[in-house]
Amino acid sequence: MKLRSSRIALYLGVAATCAVLLFPIYWLLVTAISPPADLRSLPPRFWPDVPQWQVFSRIAEERPMLLWLTNSTLAALGSVALSMTVSVFAGYALSRFRVRGGQSLGLFILTAKMLPATLLVIPLFGIFRSVGLIGSLWSVVLAHATLIVPFTTWMLKGYFDTIPRELEQAAMVDGCSPLGALFRVILPVATPGLAATALYGFVLSWSDYAYARTFLTNAQQSWTANLGITTMKGEYVTDWNEISAAAVFVALPILVIYLFLERYLVGGLTAGAEK
Amino acid sequence: MAGIRIENVRKSYGAVTVLRDFNLDIADGEFVVFVGPSGCGKSTMLKILAGLEEASGGRVLIGERDVTDLAPGDRDIAMVFQNYALYPHLTVARNMGFGLKMRGMDRGEIDRRVSEAAKILAVDHLLDRRPKELSGGQRQRVALGRAIVREPQAFLMDEPLSNLDAKLRVHMRAEISALHKRLGVTTIYVTHDQIEAMTMADRIVIMRDGEIQQIADPDTMFARPENLFVAGFIGSPGMNFLLGNVTADERGARVSLFGQDVCLPVPLAAVPGIAGRPVILGLRPEHIGPAHGPVSFAVRPRLVESLGSEKYIYVDLPHENRGAPADAKGADDERRGDALIARLVDAGAVATGEPITLSFDPARLHVFDAETHRAIR
Repeated sequence: MKLRSSRIALYLGVAATCAVLLFPIYWLLVTAISPPADLRSLPPRFWPDVPQWQVFSRIAEERPMLLWLTNSTLAALGSVALSMTVSVFAGYALSRFRVRGGQSLGLFILTAKMLPATLLVIPLFGIFRSVGLIGSLWSVVLAHATLIVPFTTWMLKGYFDTIPRELEQAAMVDGCSPLGALFRVILPVATPGLAATALYGFVLSWSDYAYARTFLTNAQQSWTANLGITTMKGEYVTDWNEISAAAVFVALPILVIYLFLERYLVGGLTAGAEK
Repeated sequence: MAGIRIENVRKSYGAVTVLRDFNLDIADGEFVVFVGPSGCGKSTMLKILAGLEEASGGRVLIGERDVTDLAPGDRDIAMVFQNYALYPHLTVARNMGFGLKMRGMDRGEIDRRVSEAAKILAVDHLLDRRPKELSGGQRQRVALGRAIVREPQAFLMDEPLSNLDAKLRVHMRAEISALHKRLGVTTIYVTHDQIEAMTMADRIVIMRDGEIQQIADPDTMFARPENLFVAGFIGSPGMNFLLGNVTADERGARVSLFGQDVCLPVPLAAVPGIAGRPVILGLRPEHIGPAHGPVSFAVRPRLVESLGSEKYIYVDLPHENRGAPADAKGADDERRGDALIARLVDAGAVATGEPITLSFDPARLHVFDAETHRAIR
């Protein structure tokens, strides 16, 4: 009896957590498809009588949504590729090699992760302007990499720590070089961790606004989706249906990726518990 | 196949020395076991042999080849790890064939060797499975198979049975010994379990604090330990240690044990000046009998443990015989220094607190210098 009631309490807790987490997404959708008059009604309406689904096709036609999403995707893929390339080696080195000052270096990287993006935006702007990258998507790729690398390095270091050293030692006895052991054995074994880390990096880049706003404002062709959406807010009139619908477009890819990679993500996040 | 020579190998991490002047000649086809408590340097020595650790000094030769500076893959050795270290993303067949593939062997030959080794180890029905789908014993076999297919000069095994349960360990122990006899490959086996060492080795190397304590075959190791540590490490239950002060007269060196004058099995001429000095006397539990003998003493056991076929009788040591140093005991021996254990087979009814007469033959006593802890013979 006690077991059953504690189980019910557990389910209620999970349901309450899900409700809190999912409500903003649900409300985003409701805001997008409700008639404008419903948006300010009190008490609020939790589902419109006549959903205005055409708002999605309207903004797809009237706004360069596809271009913005493509830019966001390119920026995220570029910064993740760059970050993962650096982080795989850095994380592996921090995990495996005992070098003088290695621990301090690791902590220094962690400190870089703690700095707010707004603090780095001014020096980055200066650098990018001097090399002519302002207005180019490359500026965002590089800037996002500065945000992502510290995090992914630490996440991968933690993941590599859970992989027994004997695996690469066995590979070396079997004839691999240290780098060969990394590529042939450790990275395939670390696939869930790599996927989880890459996805987190992707989300970090995808959700950025500050860097895109600073480096890309004067180059409409390079706008990312988050930057594009903010331009939809008018000085006198704001179409909340359109902004919400655009936000749904921005949120959708992340949701889809999470759904497809869920198995890897859970594996990546719980790897340390399987010893 | 080849012999192995280890010359003056040492290893330090900064100021910490974990291996001191290690010298050993291993004959072709020999099965040598490195044994010792945790931190004694046995695994470090094995890793230096494998090329996974760099020695701070000394040389390693496999056959006639100096491999000291060669990469692990170029030494022509195979290694079996404590946690098996099977590649989780590869099937059993690909795990076993990985080393051959790295050496550029053609597919057909790899398949032939893998299937042959799999048959020897009875894992031929598991070739398409991944390691996580195997039991502990099956993983152990696959790890052995991965070593066998390489047909290396030597096998290095780092506590390969310590993750198995007790019953399977005994079974795999016998299998590894049988495999060694069948293949005849030089094998170096690391363990902290003295029973594994005794049952499997042609020769045992006992180590402590980075130094070799004794190198000998199992029977010699048991019968003629060089020092107190070896005496306490080999044997289960471990050797009993009693303290005694030597007196000497025309009949020889004597000590008082259990209140009786006992003649030591050491000729006075062998140790001049032994008279008046304290010595530590070692007596194996199996060398104590349940009836009257050359030296008999009546005791009341403080504890009796029955294993069915034999009994362990714990009795109090007389105060005058207590005080043998604690570090003389084996690594896993947590007995207090005030008890003596007798191991009796067919002892009949023995109960805690009930009087019993025990006896031993003084010729069975091992005599150790109380200061240097070295055997006196």
